[in-house]
Amino acid sequence: MKIKPLTQDIRLLLVLVPLMAVLSILSPRFLTLDNLTNVVWSVCLIGILASGAIYPRITGGIDLSLGSMAALSGIVVDMFMNRFGFHWILAIALTLLIGALIGLFNGFIVAKIKVPAFVVTMAAKTYLYGVGLVVSQGAMLAILKPKPFIMIGTGRFLGLPIPIYIMFALALSSQFILKRSAFGRKVMAVGANEVAAKLSGVDPDRIRLAAYTISGVTSAIGGVVLASLTQQVFAAAASGVELDVMTALVIGGTSPIGGRGSVLGGLIGAIMVAFIVNGLNLMNVPASFHPIVTGSVIIIALLLNEGYLSPKKGGLSSARR
Amino acid sequence: MNDNGADGGILLNCRGVTKSYSGTTVLDKVDFSIKRGEVHALVGENGAGKSTLVKLITGVTNRDSGEITFDGKTVPLEHSRKLSQELGIAVIYQELSLIPGMTVAQNIFLTKEPLLGKTRLIDSKKMNRMAQALIEKYEFPLKATDYIDRISIAQRQLVEILKALSGHASLMIMDEPSSSLTKTEVEMLFRIIHTLKAEGISVLYISHRMEEVYALSDRVTVLRDGKLVSVLEKEQISPAEIIRLMIGHKLEETALHHQLPRIESGVVLEVQGLTSVGKFEDVSFQLHEGEVLGIGGLVGSGRTELVRALYGIDPCDAGSITYLGKPFTPSVRTSIAAGIGFIPEERRLQGILATQSITRNIGIPNLDLLAPRGVVHLKAEQEYSLKGIKLLNVKPPNPDQLVGNLSGGNQQKVVLAKWLVRELKLIFIDEPTVGIDIGAKEEIYDHVRKLAGMGVSVILVSSDLPELTRLSDRVIVLRKGKVFHEFKECMLTSEMILRAASGITEGINEN
Repeated sequence: MKIKPLTQDIRLLLVLVPLMAVLSILSPRFLTLDNLTNVVWSVCLIGILASGAIYPRITGGIDLSLGSMAALSGIVVDMFMNRFGFHWILAIALTLLIGALIGLFNGFIVAKIKVPAFVVTMAAKTYLYGVGLVVSQGAMLAILKPKPFIMIGTGRFLGLPIPIYIMFALALSSQFILKRSAFGRKVMAVGANEVAAKLSGVDPDRIRLAAYTISGVTSAIGGVVLASLTQQVFAAAASGVELDVMTALVIGGTSPIGGRGSVLGGLIGAIMVAFIVNGLNLMNVPASFHPIVTGSVIIIALLLNEGYLSPKKGGLSSARR
Repeated sequence: MNDNGADGGILLNCRGVTKSYSGTTVLDKVDFSIKRGEVHALVGENGAGKSTLVKLITGVTNRDSGEITFDGKTVPLEHSRKLSQELGIAVIYQELSLIPGMTVAQNIFLTKEPLLGKTRLIDSKKMNRMAQALIEKYEFPLKATDYIDRISIAQRQLVEILKALSGHASLMIMDEPSSSLTKTEVEMLFRIIHTLKAEGISVLYISHRMEEVYALSDRVTVLRDGKLVSVLEKEQISPAEIIRLMIGHKLEETALHHQLPRIESGVVLEVQGLTSVGKFEDVSFQLHEGEVLGIGGLVGSGRTELVRALYGIDPCDAGSITYLGKPFTPSVRTSIAAGIGFIPEERRLQGILATQSITRNIGIPNLDLLAPRGVVHLKAEQEYSLKGIKLLNVKPPNPDQLVGNLSGGNQQKVVLAKWLVRELKLIFIDEPTVGIDIGAKEEIYDHVRKLAGMGVSVILVSSDLPELTRLSDRVIVLRKGKVFHEFKECMLTSEMILRAASGITEGINEN
């Protein structure tokens, strides 16, 4: 009988579990429900954004506008609720719609005008930040109402923070779409070989439009959750989070050249980095050392994932042949 | 060991060379030798050990045991790419290894550029002069200052050869050098090989095209299943004999003459005055049920462009298409939905998803059936995959295997399989057997004929004349974008197709 090779996600768990064991030995406070909850909570934004950001990544592109988009969404949802007086559900719906439209616009420039995604979304990152500055008048605004809205970020259900449920719901749906839906198959096919996909009846332009639209929506969701959680909004609220998201995806085995990826892997990746940072904190390692450790983890993860260390398996080099 | 005089003119000598990968012996005590100034062909089916032998000679991998001597020097077990270059072994790669954004001269002298005096700066003028001198010496149609991405594939191959010559190579290894060349370019390559030979340079020629091996080689080494089968001397070389040794059993004689049958079945596809400016013009023909219609013509005659337009990849400027009795405006999606399939000409670039499994590759054009409500039915997907693997005898028969790791022949089988698991009415097949071994070729031929037998209509584009002659029920030959001649209900030979493709009207009408 053939033994199926371990999937990427299971291999990651094989790293995560010993890591947790080591950290719990090093620090008795590590393996407490409170601490673990806090760590997972801290990666909620990354997890939510990664659930959508993975689609452009797999098609071989990238969405770098996530952070600015999320911050702008917070500002906009606050504007709808507290300046225009809309019901909070309507405000959120409109915010997600705006996220979708901006994502669609990014996708349009990438798919139809064929500008590299890196450039398009880098520009979007900048102008969305600018729009955020204008709408918020450059200020940091506090959101104190309405209560149900604040509950999204701060409430608990069965003892766990609600954002954790939102994150897992999005990540699991996204994973299902990627692995089981016809759309997911097509996203992977476009990333693996656009021409071959096209000749098999896939419309790469439509897939790209959809990919960036989804990424826009999850960015808006992330922004709404963040606003509710922190109860404050400003244009630089989520600045730099796009890099954390890309880091999580890379650690989770999403190929840097497209065609392959896993949301759950990304989630485990994000949680892994958070655990490491948490462990360093618990062991009183100064914060200035943390980036060195997390940076090294990215390199190691990439080396393991892409098979650079096992020449027979090929990895990236064989993918490029 | 041996000095130059006592080696009997042998340049490369391998004795008892053995190599195994994780327990599987891929080369088993192989003896192999190349004489000075000879063209030596290495043939065998995919998996026979040809590429492994080349890798051992060029130092890409190390042998497990056996001796290799080159130019009288013993090659150590710890061989390397660098050592093989120092010895004078050059490889002209099948997938070219030039840098597209650099000039011919820059590529030829890469890492051995002439320097300005004692500085580390490159003397570009001198380098261009040296490259131009080299080009002129061999009378290649090149300019030293041309950029690689602006010249043809054939010209790039010439640059590779010059690069090897500038490094004073005494053995040039050419792996399927003709696979992407037109007929005239192949003729030029042959002339160049003769020039190299006259200079005393040995050429190791690896090819699936028997007529080339026959035309070029002084000796042929045949490998089968990692073992040396035979070394044929010039007078023993014949395509039939080589094929017999390669396959290990005698293929039934394929008739050089092929009688085109009378077709009486209904019309499936009718094309009227189809035109795409600059590509093809006023093309009209009918395609019948269960018929294989061959499209012949030289590269650039508009064959590929025509089938791409018919499948709906590229638009047309004028003309009409009638499919199953109704007017038809093709787009890839409507074509697939209407039971039409398409096998593109370059399987790596256009056919396969290299980083994905056989299952995913077979699934992708069948998502309409596998995921009618958007969610893929995994069991059905697996069944389709296993069905395709079984139908086409894909090796290894593992549905989770990444297609990029399969041999060329098996990759092409996967491309075929993804359409054959569907209910097809019509399939376009463009150059189905380029660069794949004879065994896989025969299997693919069987499938094309079987498809026609089941009532599927086939439009076959091929530069391989025996292939076109043998498989087709009718052949139209394009020349400069127009239908030049149609062969039907007659005795057809390769020569007749070639004459028509070259614009010669005599000798193509004999019935």
